[in-house]
Amino acid sequence: MADKVKLFVNGQEVEVESGKNLIDAIGAVGIEIPHLCYHPALGADGNCRMCLVGIEDGRPPIVPACKTKAAEGMKVLLDADHIKKIQHDVMELELINHPIDCPICDQAGECKLQDYYMKYDGQKSRMTVKPVMKAKKLDFGAGVVHDQERCILCARCVRFTRQITKTGELGIVNRTDYARVNIFPGRPLANRYALNVVDLCPVGAMTSSDFRFKQRAWFLTKSPSICQGCSKGCNIFIDHNREKYKDDVIYRYRPRLNEKVNGYFICDEGRMTYKAENDNRLTTGIVSGKETGLSEAVEATRRLISEAKKTVFLVSPNNTLEQMYAIKAFAAEAGAALSGFSDGYIQEGDADGYLIQDDKSANRASFELLGIEGSKDGFDKAVADADLVISFNNDLSKSLAEADLNALLEKAQLVYIGTSLGTCASKAAVALPIASYSEDCGSLINIDQVLQQFAVAVVKNEPAANLIEVVQQLGGSVAGVKEARAGLMESVAALKDVNLEEVPEEGIALTDNEVSNVAA
Amino acid sequence: MSDRSQLIETGKPFAFDEQRDAEFERLATRYPTRDSLILPSLWLVQEQEGWISAEAMAYIADRIGCFATQVYEAATFYTMYNLQPKGEYHICVCRTLSCYLLGKQEIVDYLQSELGIKPGEVSTDGKYSLEEVECLGHCGSAPVVQINGEFYEYMNVDKLKELLATMN
Amino acid sequence: MQVQVLSARFDIPDAHKIEVAKENGAYSTLEKVFSMQPEEVIELVKSSGLRGRGGAGFPTGLKWSFLPKDIDKPVYLAVNSDESEPATFKDRYILVKDPHMLIEGIIICCYAIKSNAAYIYIRGEYTTQVKALQAAIDEAYEAGYLGDTINGRDYKLDITVHRGAGAYVCGEETALLESIEGKKGQPRSKPPFPAVEGLYGCPTIINNVQSIASLPFILTNGADAYKAYGTEKSPGTHLFGISGLVNKPGMYELPLGLPILEVIEKVAGGVRDGHKLKGIIPGGSSTPVILPDEAEDLTLDYESMAAHKTMFGSGGIVVLDDTVDMVKLVENLIYFYHHESCGQCTPCREGLGWMLKIVKKIIRGEGEVADIDLLLELCDNIEMKTVCVLSAACTMSTRSYLNKFRHEFEAYVNGGASTQTAM
Repeated sequence: MADKVKLFVNGQEVEVESGKNLIDAIGAVGIEIPHLCYHPALGADGNCRMCLVGIEDGRPPIVPACKTKAAEGMKVLLDADHIKKIQHDVMELELINHPIDCPICDQAGECKLQDYYMKYDGQKSRMTVKPVMKAKKLDFGAGVVHDQERCILCARCVRFTRQITKTGELGIVNRTDYARVNIFPGRPLANRYALNVVDLCPVGAMTSSDFRFKQRAWFLTKSPSICQGCSKGCNIFIDHNREKYKDDVIYRYRPRLNEKVNGYFICDEGRMTYKAENDNRLTTGIVSGKETGLSEAVEATRRLISEAKKTVFLVSPNNTLEQMYAIKAFAAEAGAALSGFSDGYIQEGDADGYLIQDDKSANRASFELLGIEGSKDGFDKAVADADLVISFNNDLSKSLAEADLNALLEKAQLVYIGTSLGTCASKAAVALPIASYSEDCGSLINIDQVLQQFAVAVVKNEPAANLIEVVQQLGGSVAGVKEARAGLMESVAALKDVNLEEVPEEGIALTDNEVSNVAA
Repeated sequence: MSDRSQLIETGKPFAFDEQRDAEFERLATRYPTRDSLILPSLWLVQEQEGWISAEAMAYIADRIGCFATQVYEAATFYTMYNLQPKGEYHICVCRTLSCYLLGKQEIVDYLQSELGIKPGEVSTDGKYSLEEVECLGHCGSAPVVQINGEFYEYMNVDKLKELLATMN
Repeated sequence: MQVQVLSARFDIPDAHKIEVAKENGAYSTLEKVFSMQPEEVIELVKSSGLRGRGGAGFPTGLKWSFLPKDIDKPVYLAVNSDESEPATFKDRYILVKDPHMLIEGIIICCYAIKSNAAYIYIRGEYTTQVKALQAAIDEAYEAGYLGDTINGRDYKLDITVHRGAGAYVCGEETALLESIEGKKGQPRSKPPFPAVEGLYGCPTIINNVQSIASLPFILTNGADAYKAYGTEKSPGTHLFGISGLVNKPGMYELPLGLPILEVIEKVAGGVRDGHKLKGIIPGGSSTPVILPDEAEDLTLDYESMAAHKTMFGSGGIVVLDDTVDMVKLVENLIYFYHHESCGQCTPCREGLGWMLKIVKKIIRGEGEVADIDLLLELCDNIEMKTVCVLSAACTMSTRSYLNKFRHEFEAYVNGGASTQTAM
């Protein structure tokens, strides 16, 4: 536990963590100090002057909270008239050259300028002279569009590219009120995290060309989830909305803070994986090339299983821990071989030492926990004499060359239980649609052995069955996520101290020992 | 101050000449960090070319090993860096306080009409450029004009006429 | 009234050359300095009462003593030769007429603070001056006063000249450090103070050219000799720059503490014939203007200036006579500060531009009384809300004109623009 200090805010005693700046320290006990340029991942810059607070008997008596550490006995003034006046005055100055084009601004509804205007300013504009004009709609590359007039020059974006990605594509050029953010000619944003500047921007100066003008922020439901673009397991918000007469659609992913996993950011590729949740989805059963309902597809699959001499269950490294448990149990019951072969999900050399990992699947670590074998050798042996392969959302076309896949399918039939259209769905004798992760829930273990859970975010007008339900309909014994968790806690040594029904929001770090115990 | 962020590209690569190259390397031994070379390097470019193009900035950045935006920031922040070609005679008239009190406007007005250019412009023949600048630190001998780095003190229209005559 | 302490060699032909400077005493105090312990040098400078001549007037020796003891990092000296405050033109004379006095002062200072590297930050506009300074430094290296040994002593010192490029704000000491580090001249939040964490994160002393140039005299002649000039609390001499609407503008070395009106009259020849004194800017453009009757008992020292709610500043005195249109003068000043705002802090970046536009509106005859009050309010709203005091320099001076010459602003607002103009 960090050391605590007692200080006073507006005369009221509070206990806060020592060593932290006043914004973070006092913010942690629920007292907000307004700020625009400060960001915990980027440190204090001190340029916006919105966080100026009074220090009773202090020298100097007014300090930027972002640059001031909490100290024992400090008397912080936030609601004194002279401090409220500063907040009011700074807001007025932030807005005099701002276009106030909220009706056409994507940031409206989640804009610090709007929030602070309502909270700290609230007066009619006294600006009777011509404002400073700057450039709009600048293409900064990487899908980032910049509006210099909306910008308040907090430098968060600049600091992000210098401190976090160390690519330095952004700078603030000129000085005085001609200052503006820009890229150097011919050197646009070219890093794999660039879209974070859109989230970091406290106003509408940085927008995503992908999201621009798509939705008003206040219509979006912001559901916490886990990105499944790679094995890092970055925490995200799934921002989605069901427009009148339409289906629930995802409009964007945004990073969600988890100090143990991804901090404040996510990569751009991961961010864009939301599109696969919306588009190209398998929504009906397919039997012999014909669209069917789910029950016909289930019937056809049961028939294939009963007729098969040998069946191989192909687990996906994207299946949740609970799904894997249910599939494994079903495999044992049905006498099927089990493989997690999914080499194609790994892009060797793609990792960057930060968030992006080689392994583009979300839950391969659970293979080890459940003893699921994923090697090519194991797969080849398993399918050698098999006449039926059931893929549980494992896109085999990623791991096998087309010729090899075709050769395999000449001697074995394929059942694809999956979320998306594509090679597997089209080559399968039977395809069954299931809910994708944004419509499902479960547990994942990331590359650093952190177990995290996500809940259902999106509910489609016609929800697909989830994978465990389908497994059950095919004859599996696990009735649902709850039962799977109970079974996991009972049977997996590494989870014996873990309550899967009460996993904290930031996840649980499984020690290496526990995992290797299981593998042994 | 005006917007200085619109850089000019020459379409040609830039490199220090031999003399500037040697000076750059000498300066590199004087600072514990390479970033400190940004301002001196911009001066070297300006000495060599008279102004600083986008290519020259990119060259400096790559030579120093810093971000191009760092050079871009410095070049646009410090107003003495010329971001476009200047006239053969670059005439800077001090516009601040003591020079203002002692008639800098007459000088600016005279130069505008005589050269046919406004502050910030270059004459079409490329011979003159005119700029109003902030305090040049010669307040005791105001008004002051600086032409290609040389100071001309206690200026007035008559003296300017003589001076312009020497440039023809 | 004039004295020759710093300017002792200014009138000697070719005193900028090392041979001539040496014949006239340059570098003669180094042996004495090296025979002292660094701490003794600091004590001597402390006891001389020398105060920083850049504007703030902070005691120089005391500043040095803020350096942390037992440090394993290099210590740097940064000499502030940015001299950009309008009406200030004193250091320029040292750079050109007696650069070896400055170099000798740097050696003394660096010895005292145990530094092996000094940077002279010189404003980019000083084109001819930087050449003169660099030539003198080259001479000093040649003569063995700089480099791996100093005057034969095993002590290494390098001086590097770093040119600014047109940014007033770099006269602010932390902006100056940023500029040496290759960045935009944007002042740093303090703490940490430069003495603890300055240039390249190392302990750094930043002194004005004139402060450093005062050291050879103090070390040669002792603290008492220096204190013999000036007042008790403001000892020594200063290179005053007198400009504006006087008969004999120029740089004059004077002891501190002289009556300002007498200096304007006797040293600078008084206001031009047929004109009356209207106001005095006592210490550079940022210092609040003083009315003639307020100046009656005003003397040229830090204490008297403070008592008159203005500042000693850089010692740049600007004389304003009855032809000056104070509204247009304020426009000229706000234009300057707006132009020079580094653009970092919201109040300064946005506020000064707004103030400038309001003054322009008033001058165009489109203003209202409310605009005058808005200007006054903006002065309050901007002042001291920022990292550095650039905006305060603008608001403190602007407020003084608004309060003391409000009738001139009102005349513009009421449709009868002032008939008095400077030109």
